[in-house]
Amino acid sequence: MSGTDIAFFLLALAAIAGGVTMLQLTNVVHMVVALVMTFLGIAGLYVLLSAEFVAVVQVLIYSGAITIIMLFAIMLTRHHRDEKERQTTGGVWHKAVAAISVIAFGLAVYFGIRRLDFGADGSALAGDNVKTIGKLLYSYYTIPFEIVSVILLVALIGAIVLAKKDGKEAGDK
Amino acid sequence: MMEQWLESAPSWSNIALFFGLGALFLAVVLTFVTYAILAERKVMGFMQGRIGPNQVGGRFGLLQTVADVLKLLLKEDTIPKAADRPLYVLAPIIAFTPSFMVLAVLPFTDAFRFADIGVGLLYYIAVSGLTTVGVVAGGWASNNKYALLGGMRAAAQMISYEIPLVMSALGVVLLAGSMNLVDIVAAQKDVWFIFAQPLAFLIFFIAAVAELNRTPFDLPEAESELVAGFHVEYSGFRWAFFMLAEYVYMFAMAALVTILFLGGWHPVAFLGWIPGAVWFALKFCAVVFVLIWFRATFPRVRADQLMEFAWKVLLPLSLVNIVLTAVVKAWFF
Repeated sequence: MSGTDIAFFLLALAAIAGGVTMLQLTNVVHMVVALVMTFLGIAGLYVLLSAEFVAVVQVLIYSGAITIIMLFAIMLTRHHRDEKERQTTGGVWHKAVAAISVIAFGLAVYFGIRRLDFGADGSALAGDNVKTIGKLLYSYYTIPFEIVSVILLVALIGAIVLAKKDGKEAGDK
Repeated sequence: MMEQWLESAPSWSNIALFFGLGALFLAVVLTFVTYAILAERKVMGFMQGRIGPNQVGGRFGLLQTVADVLKLLLKEDTIPKAADRPLYVLAPIIAFTPSFMVLAVLPFTDAFRFADIGVGLLYYIAVSGLTTVGVVAGGWASNNKYALLGGMRAAAQMISYEIPLVMSALGVVLLAGSMNLVDIVAAQKDVWFIFAQPLAFLIFFIAAVAELNRTPFDLPEAESELVAGFHVEYSGFRWAFFMLAEYVYMFAMAALVTILFLGGWHPVAFLGWIPGAVWFALKFCAVVFVLIWFRATFPRVRADQLMEFAWKVLLPLSLVNIVLTAVVKAWFF
């Protein structure tokens, strides 16, 4: 077992443990902190795949910005901590079906990717990750890139419009 | 020399070597924090016509911070009854760990640096953003209205000022053609980027002060309105961790400004016989002094002014700077 394998197991464990912890916790703020652990584990996996840029952007966008925005949303809205609401419903059959479908899904994914060929090893690109991604984005993928930027702009304007309307209605009352 | 070690095959002696170097570096950073706090108190004291600490450790109060840290160690560790216990305990750790992680990518001289990664600049900004999570979590877990307000302000401020910070650094990246901090320093061999990118430097420095939560942008811990902000409920060593993170970030940010704009370890004109480490230390100390100077002389801005300044002044200016830099680079290089 090489160092890469050990690192992979540790990072994968961190990512999965974060996800499972998130599902198990009952407090929403705790869940977000557990989610950060998952994001960081995944960022570590990107580093192992020599995709430094993607890893750093993952930390910047997901662990940083999106987590903060989720924390904001959670803290500024009222939420009751009703333990009763979160009690699991459904009996043995419910759980058995869930377990079988989880196992079936796992097997399907395993057999699906077992013989998958990912092509050449990408680690040769590790040195100038950013340059390669930038060149591809602004040459081959220009149109999708521009469309994404337009969609983001529309979302931004939509958010402003929604916020404005709320303010006016509140003012009328 | 360090580069050979970084690229050598992993072995136990290698691990021991890097552990030793890391511990040495930790000692350097902690010494800096100790004396930065003293320097801050002394310089501010002189600027305000006071004397500053002068009792513990001789005429200049050289052991004042050491005594303060010892006091913090001995202090009772209180956790409020209504606090969210696990998050309250975890928050200082989340806030503090990234501050040491960012130090790994900073090149201090061409021989003394730890990690040499292609996206060093972005790594710094991404990892330093994790501290915000700790600050917000600490503010929320304290179950105190002032702490929550402080945490909210910290999050809003850090997200807003991260954008001009990155955007202004992009001008430097455009000129250097790399996000690797070592390459950025190498690109400043002839002209420091503070002269090639004066606008970017101004924006970056303002945004850096805001990221550090220092006056005039110290709203998250505004004493007069929020008691002490997000760490109002913390005491003893947990509080010391928040403070330590703040001063380690001061170290890291001063080093980053030196690397990005002041030419890192490159000497001034004919003074090349002075070693690079000394040059780095001199520039670094100048940046730290300016940070302290700011704190002693500027009043605090209001919360609404803070946001308007980031989004309506700094962001458009940094976009203009990017366009200008791109035009200059396309025509003259």
